[in-house]
Amino acid sequence: MTAGASSRAADRERGDRIYFTLAALLGSGVILYFASVPLLGGNLAFHFYLMLWITMASGFNVSSGFSGYMPFGYVAFYGVGAFTTAILVKKVGFPVLAALPISGLAGLVLALLFAPTLRLSGIYFAIVSLALAAICRLVITNMPETITGGSFGLQLGSHAEPVLSFYVMMVVMLAALGTILWLSRSRLGKALRAVRDDAEAADMMGINITRVRLYGWLIAAVFPALCGGVEAWYTNVVDTETAFNTLITAKTVIYAVAGGLGTVAGPIVGAIAMVWLDELIWRQFPLLNLLILGLATVLLVLFLPRGIVGSLLRWRPGWRRYVP
Amino acid sequence: MTTAALDVHDLVKRFGGLVALDGVAFSAAQGDVLGIIGVNGAGKTTLMNCICGIYRPDAGAIRLGGQDVTGWAPHDIAHRGVGRTFQVPRVFRRMSLIDNLLVPVLKHKAADRALIESAEAMLERMRLIDLRHNFAEELSGGQQKLLEMARMLMPDPQVVMLDEPFAGVHPTLCRFMIEQIETMAAAHKTVLLISHDLTSIYRLSKRVLALNQGRVIAEGGVDAIRGNPDVIEAYLGA
Amino acid sequence: MEILVLNGIVNGLVVGGVYALIGMSLTLLYGVLRVVNFAHGEMVIGGSFLAYVLFHVAGIPPLLALPIAAIAFFGLGYVAYYLLIPRLDRSDDPESMSFLMMYGVSIALAALMLLLFEADSRSIDYTFSPISMKIGPIYVSTARIVALGVTIVVSAAVGLFLFATLPGKALRAAIMNREAIQIMGVDIIRLSAFAFALATGLAGITGVLVALVFPAFNAFSGPEYSIIGFIVIVLGGLGNPVGALLAGVLYGLVEQLATVFLPQALAQIVGFGLLVAVILLRNAGFVRWRIGR
Repeated sequence: MTAGASSRAADRERGDRIYFTLAALLGSGVILYFASVPLLGGNLAFHFYLMLWITMASGFNVSSGFSGYMPFGYVAFYGVGAFTTAILVKKVGFPVLAALPISGLAGLVLALLFAPTLRLSGIYFAIVSLALAAICRLVITNMPETITGGSFGLQLGSHAEPVLSFYVMMVVMLAALGTILWLSRSRLGKALRAVRDDAEAADMMGINITRVRLYGWLIAAVFPALCGGVEAWYTNVVDTETAFNTLITAKTVIYAVAGGLGTVAGPIVGAIAMVWLDELIWRQFPLLNLLILGLATVLLVLFLPRGIVGSLLRWRPGWRRYVP
Repeated sequence: MTTAALDVHDLVKRFGGLVALDGVAFSAAQGDVLGIIGVNGAGKTTLMNCICGIYRPDAGAIRLGGQDVTGWAPHDIAHRGVGRTFQVPRVFRRMSLIDNLLVPVLKHKAADRALIESAEAMLERMRLIDLRHNFAEELSGGQQKLLEMARMLMPDPQVVMLDEPFAGVHPTLCRFMIEQIETMAAAHKTVLLISHDLTSIYRLSKRVLALNQGRVIAEGGVDAIRGNPDVIEAYLGA
Repeated sequence: MEILVLNGIVNGLVVGGVYALIGMSLTLLYGVLRVVNFAHGEMVIGGSFLAYVLFHVAGIPPLLALPIAAIAFFGLGYVAYYLLIPRLDRSDDPESMSFLMMYGVSIALAALMLLLFEADSRSIDYTFSPISMKIGPIYVSTARIVALGVTIVVSAAVGLFLFATLPGKALRAAIMNREAIQIMGVDIIRLSAFAFALATGLAGITGVLVALVFPAFNAFSGPEYSIIGFIVIVLGGLGNPVGALLAGVLYGLVEQLATVFLPQALAQIVGFGLLVAVILLRNAGFVRWRIGR
């Protein structure tokens, strides 16, 4: 190895060390913080939803930040996951922990069904995604009451276990974060980003863009489905109004963008910042909540389009390979 | 008779009413450097787009080392050993230079570390090593062209297509690129080179293909082309 | 049955006219500015609320509300343009950023309307006299006939503007080739501002018509009209105002006739399904390089 090559190798190793140290710090910080909430009597609901939004934003990040697709109908996966768990538990008698993985599977199936839309470019994809989510909602709303509970929705019965479901949510969140960490360093992740940047050129460089896009899409679909399932367990009730609420997509998108798409830390930072802001505002101005969310989005796009982490990395590009 | 590295047979490509390629045929042996000249709109880039799979020809055939690859998907043709650069650089803008170079070799069985090392070696060869962690969009136009060349060479393609590599590039950089192309030729790669810079074309090419309005109007050695009246009339000005 | 079908057709034309207007303003916006206006539905509903307030507070009949809405919204559009759009062009992904921004605007507008008017459904209790008119074998509410009439007039006006006046032609040229028109010396910023204002003004007018044609609306009715707008512009071709007109009417007809034969919710699914099918089958929006593949 030449002198240059070996110093670069050392440099690379140093970079990797910093990266994984930061990732480990972030991970253990997250685990310790959330694991201690039930033990120390903290606000369970607040932290449950914080974890949920971190997971949702991370999933969206896979689709948008890594693959370049903005699914404005993202809530479809969430709703399908929620109803799958609810139906399996309430109508079929599954134990919740058995129903959840099937919710994830339902998300995958839905993603496969929607896969043909991956051929579409930006705006067409966004619009079709919105329409497909509306179709999902309409279909479920109009299914027989015996299956989906009609307008009253389904109650999971006496299965509510706040603390257990809290920890399961934590597991799901960690799985999401772990997946993204892996993705950002893996070959699939590089392929996804190449396709995002210039699909045609990526094709000519040997990437099977259809297959790569599909993998990214499947990964992005699993986590909202699981979130829907766990949240159904946590709140013990599921109905089409809340499970397919467009606000779910809205918040996911905004939180992800606020943090910055394309990094692991981005959605975490964005979710924490925005959920905290939301809580703060809600306490002071409960009526202005939604308005401020909308205005915050507009301001974000105007002044901080790359999000918090993204803007930081823009300011200090050399840090890019250190920040997970 | 050895099989040609690249064999194009009666290629036709239409866009609506416009006939971009009207029965183009030629052969290139391994190690050939084929210069392709012609006015704008003659069909040069369309030809390259057909060979690498972006466009599906309406008629005709393309063979690589004897194998018919007409209508293959671009990524399959890439794996068959074809690389190219573009007139306007198409680097992966929000990826680092190293990552840009890794994209064509993601499917290789080698370990990550080995691939990264060879990517770094390539960047060093192209004098871009100090910028290896920068995003491709932060590079100047000329640097992006070099990056494209590096990226193209990573999987060691046997057929190399360069679309106007010198366009808008500083003379010093041009000379460096010419050296790189000569190295490619010395490595027995089959090189297709589109350029308006006739000096470089004549210096680098063994043979020259002249296109006009989608047809081959002349093919032959450099001197033959220079003196060819059809070429002079169509391209160099009567 | 024939009566139901006839009703379906007439209603289809009326509703389709409204959809066509929504589509036309949305497609102008996309064509000239390349902005996907996710807030379009909210703008339309804003127009409906304006008509409501004008009538219930000031006794101004909806027909008079039309020009008021047009002017007010036109002005608002101008202001909104300069506040929001110029920065977008400088970001590195204007299209995605425009989605997000207008998404935020739609939430903010819905929230604003919620604050001002609360979540109750509203409708305008204005009655024309006579309340309905007989056309052949069927009765049609006068409000709807008036709305259809207004739609025709406004569409014709927009058409005339786009095809027979200089600024209109400039707009159409900008849709076809944004770069070229700047080289021709056209101030693209002022033209874009004008297009935005025009589209917003049209949205305001459409809102008044919505109040006349549909039974009720509330602060959250926006997304439903936005989706319809998207369906219409995709069916008609992005940036194609005439296409939007035809597609809007067609979609209205399909929707209303579907409700004759199918339950309400299924009819909606048919509508959305139509959109998905058309996009996927038509190759529109496929990554453009797949020419000849």
